[in-house]
Amino acid sequence: MELHILEHRVRVLSLARPGLWLYTHPLIKLLFLPRRSRCKFFSLTETPEDYTLMVDEEGFKELPPSEFLQVAEATWLVLNVSSHSGAAVQAAGVTKIARSVIAPLAEHHVSVLMLSTYQTDFILVREQDLSVVIHTLSQEFDIYREVGGEPVPVARDDSSNGFPRSQHGPSPTVHPIQSPQNRFCVLTLDPETLPAIATTLIDVLFYSYSAPKEAASGGTGPSSITFFAFSLIEGYISIVMDAETQKKFPSDLLLTSSSGELWRMVRIGGQPLGFGA
Amino acid sequence: MSGTKPDILWAPHQVDRFVVCDSELSLYHVESTVNSELKAGSLRLSEDSAATLLSINSDTPYMKCVAWYLNYDPECLLAVGQANGRVVLTSLGQDHNSKFKDLIGKEFVPKHARQCNTLAWNPLDSNWLAAGLDKHRADFSVLIWDICSKYTPDIVPMEKVRLSAGENETTLLVTKPLYELGQNDACLSLCWLPRDQKLLLAGMHRNLAIFDLRNTSQKMFVNTKAVQGVTVDPYFHDRVASFYEGQVAIWDLRKFEKPVLTLTEQPKPLTKVAWCPTRTGLLATLTRDSNIIRLYDMQHTPTPIGDETEPTIIERSVQPCDNYIASFAWHPTSQNRMIVVTPNRTMSDFTVFERISLAWSPITSLMWACGRHLYECAEEENDNSLEKDIATKMRLRALSRYGLDTEQVWRNHILAGNEDPQLKSLWYTLHFMKQYTEDMDQKSPGNKGSLVYAGIKSIVKSSLGMVESSRHNWSGLDKQSDTQNLNEERILALQLCGWIKKGTDVDVGPFLNSLVQEGEWERAAAVALFNLDIRRAIQILNEGASSEKGDLNLNVVAMALSGYTDEKNSLWREMCSTLRLQLNNPYLCVMFAFLTSETGSYDGVLYENKVAVRDRVAFACKFLSDSQLNRYIEKLTNEMKEAGNLEGILLTGLTKDGVDLMESYVDRTGDVQTASYCMLQGSPLDVLKDERVQYWIENYRNLLDAWRFWHKRAEFDIHRSKLDPSSKPLAQVFVSCNFCGKSISYSCSTVPHQGRGFSQYGVSGSPTKSKVTSCPGCRKPLPRCALCLINMGTPVSSCPGGSKSDEKVDLSKDKKLAQFNNWFTWCHNCRHGGHAGHMLSWFRDHAECPVSACTCKCMQLDTTGNLVPAETVQP
Repeated sequence: MELHILEHRVRVLSLARPGLWLYTHPLIKLLFLPRRSRCKFFSLTETPEDYTLMVDEEGFKELPPSEFLQVAEATWLVLNVSSHSGAAVQAAGVTKIARSVIAPLAEHHVSVLMLSTYQTDFILVREQDLSVVIHTLSQEFDIYREVGGEPVPVARDDSSNGFPRSQHGPSPTVHPIQSPQNRFCVLTLDPETLPAIATTLIDVLFYSYSAPKEAASGGTGPSSITFFAFSLIEGYISIVMDAETQKKFPSDLLLTSSSGELWRMVRIGGQPLGFGA
Repeated sequence: MSGTKPDILWAPHQVDRFVVCDSELSLYHVESTVNSELKAGSLRLSEDSAATLLSINSDTPYMKCVAWYLNYDPECLLAVGQANGRVVLTSLGQDHNSKFKDLIGKEFVPKHARQCNTLAWNPLDSNWLAAGLDKHRADFSVLIWDICSKYTPDIVPMEKVRLSAGENETTLLVTKPLYELGQNDACLSLCWLPRDQKLLLAGMHRNLAIFDLRNTSQKMFVNTKAVQGVTVDPYFHDRVASFYEGQVAIWDLRKFEKPVLTLTEQPKPLTKVAWCPTRTGLLATLTRDSNIIRLYDMQHTPTPIGDETEPTIIERSVQPCDNYIASFAWHPTSQNRMIVVTPNRTMSDFTVFERISLAWSPITSLMWACGRHLYECAEEENDNSLEKDIATKMRLRALSRYGLDTEQVWRNHILAGNEDPQLKSLWYTLHFMKQYTEDMDQKSPGNKGSLVYAGIKSIVKSSLGMVESSRHNWSGLDKQSDTQNLNEERILALQLCGWIKKGTDVDVGPFLNSLVQEGEWERAAAVALFNLDIRRAIQILNEGASSEKGDLNLNVVAMALSGYTDEKNSLWREMCSTLRLQLNNPYLCVMFAFLTSETGSYDGVLYENKVAVRDRVAFACKFLSDSQLNRYIEKLTNEMKEAGNLEGILLTGLTKDGVDLMESYVDRTGDVQTASYCMLQGSPLDVLKDERVQYWIENYRNLLDAWRFWHKRAEFDIHRSKLDPSSKPLAQVFVSCNFCGKSISYSCSTVPHQGRGFSQYGVSGSPTKSKVTSCPGCRKPLPRCALCLINMGTPVSSCPGGSKSDEKVDLSKDKKLAQFNNWFTWCHNCRHGGHAGHMLSWFRDHAECPVSACTCKCMQLDTTGNLVPAETVQP
């Protein structure tokens, strides 16, 4: 298994819904004119609470500060697991990543952010945690750091060097979960056809908010939840949206699995991630 | 193909067809328009070709890539990769053979939709189609489809499902690929490796990978950015090009860790890189927004040598049209031909002109190569009117041993072909100089010998300041000539001029006789006249007129001459001074000039350029006063130096002046051969140390080497070391004894008569006959010859083994110890060796070392070993 530390240096931001009007212009620029902003890592996720943005430093420059924009202090580095190490081909799904990357890091008290797209999964770690990350994961992974687009192997540090390898088992944590009724689809799009859906996308992102309907009966969760995720990372577009929302888009442009599978959401905690209270 | 940027591809087999693809596929037919008018509706591609649109196919939207089916049949089958990852088979034109009908419209669908980046038909199994897709979390990015195993529509595989819902026409969907590769990765470019049907090279997201379909769990890969446009050199299957932004990387699959070289980075990103299919090692590259195609020629470097050496490449650009180029395609069979298409779909057909490489052999034959043609420049044999090139002349002269006659020095001009009066004069001058130096040395050793080689200029100068000898102007033809009054220097000058022989004899008689013998009557008559012997002059002219080769008019001249009168204002004088200019022969002309000259003024003789310098100088020595003579010689010397006229060596001698003169001669003619030999005669004067002279000599030696005249070169070196002992090379090779480590030739040098050429190379045996087979230092035996097994130092007796008998005779012909056949010789690699003669005959038939267990290919290690000296193959 290989772990690539990508070149993006990502800032994580939370944009409060009332401030959206202030950011429409820079967001449209980041969405549709990535060459202008030279932003190579852009992710926008609409949740019931806020808009969460993950952008690299080039993209961050486009966003003016305001009272509506909360910026996490840390700079995050992006990790990507790939499995083409010459041996047997292995899938590197979220479960695998959770077991082999997130759990060991949690044992060393390293917080991670995870971003899944149509194409792959990204694990974001704080820059200051990098040495711990490398130390923790170097046993299981060949670690490469991308410099100028070329992967450079990171020297394996075999000595424990003050980081004792955790011996105790995983500590159990209990989270409240909820699972809304609406179904989601994971899609991608040829970047060249992005202009064709631009108006629909702007409409969905900025002008279609309606307050969530409360569940009629006290079921396991609300009947639906507002969620829309758009990411444009290294030229690849990935969209996660409500199956109902998808109907607004032209059917021949959005690409998904031939099986047309739909996904249910399981929401854990339901608290904003590290922001706010 | 993104709607705005068209791509272009040639049909692989129907070589007059190509397809332009942007939002639709357009099939064109190329026709030659050399002898016909442009047809209506045709598009002009170049001066002599035009394209006609045959058909358009717009069935497949969102095209991302197109690949033309490689088999002959069906001809117009294309695979189109779409933005949703589906691969559709489509066709162009009327070629609807029922056999393949159900291939058309077939779709190959990946599990998860994403862009199809590249397609590649397998060159060996024509039904295999590889598709490279963008990344999906868990899906594969390289899918290999079998378009149809047997072309039999009856056997529909289980995976193929006919979907009829929602569509009017039934489409055959294939969802199960033959192979799935590259999970959780993106594939940007693909090409099959011609080495094996099951090897696929793919440019993945951050690496180049070679997939082996025989074992899909294994792959070879190298991490790199250069993953775009992988393409295999069609002439060198281990060489692959790929690119990233503005940089092309060339890979050698046998040494896959890193690129063997990267080409100069372009400021704009590359869009296409393609090897020329008709020419080895020619790579064409195109960048965005550019109207030039850059070509990289790697034909002379098929393999990378060593680890770090980058093979040399020649870069050049071609500009097929004024507009930006969207894409280009090499023609599959026409040499160096390509077609380009611009964003607005104008097309241009052109051929990259091949670089011309020219080779000029040292023996003046000229060849050049262009493309696949080789041209030789042949000299027209019968055209003798043209003067031969100096290189040819020098080569012929080297063969005739020009310059090597050190006894009869004058004979060298005959060796040079006896056609150049300047060379004749030069060698006579050198001959006389040598002769009189020896003469002088005998008379008064160490006195004036050096003066002779310093030329007449110095000789005349040395007489300046001495008492002016009584010098009457010529006043009549009285034979009580004043030669007796000539001082020693003037006599020496006359001797150098060749007018008088050595010794005290001042009679020109012998010289006149030799001139008459050679048929130079005019010159002889003039010389006789200048020696105030008009009667002899007339007699010579009569002789000339009556001889076979002579001119009858000489009688007339003799008649005119006999009418000579002292009278200053006579009619004879008047007529002669005007009519003499109409005489063609310069000597006849100067005779009358002399007879009609005013007292003390001989310009008509002295400045008649057609008269040989030596005659004019001799004349001057006889009739000019010291100061006049000095001025005249000075002036003439400068004239000669400027013109590079070798006759002037008579004046300058082999001094610095002489080198100056020779310099302008070499500048004018390039004849370093004459310059080298001439200057060597001047030893031991300082001229040899002049760097120009050394330069000529070195150049002449190089020239002989280049002509493979190695023996001539050696002869020249020997000649040179005789005349200039300082040029003798130091011993470069020594044979040391295995036991004591001393040079075995050590004792040779103490024996003087052993021969210099022999001991100087340090490869001789001991000279003393008694102990020739042992080291002179420690008396231990010398090593044995690998062939005859006799200790070295013995003369070669006969050839061992089953060699031909004529070689035996050859080798044992001369048993002298210093013969080359007896020399030590050995291989620098395996250290085996023996008698040079034995080794030579062994390696005439073998490449391997004669020692039985040794497999050293001694002879092949010597790059010059198989070259034959050119002298031996000369006619």
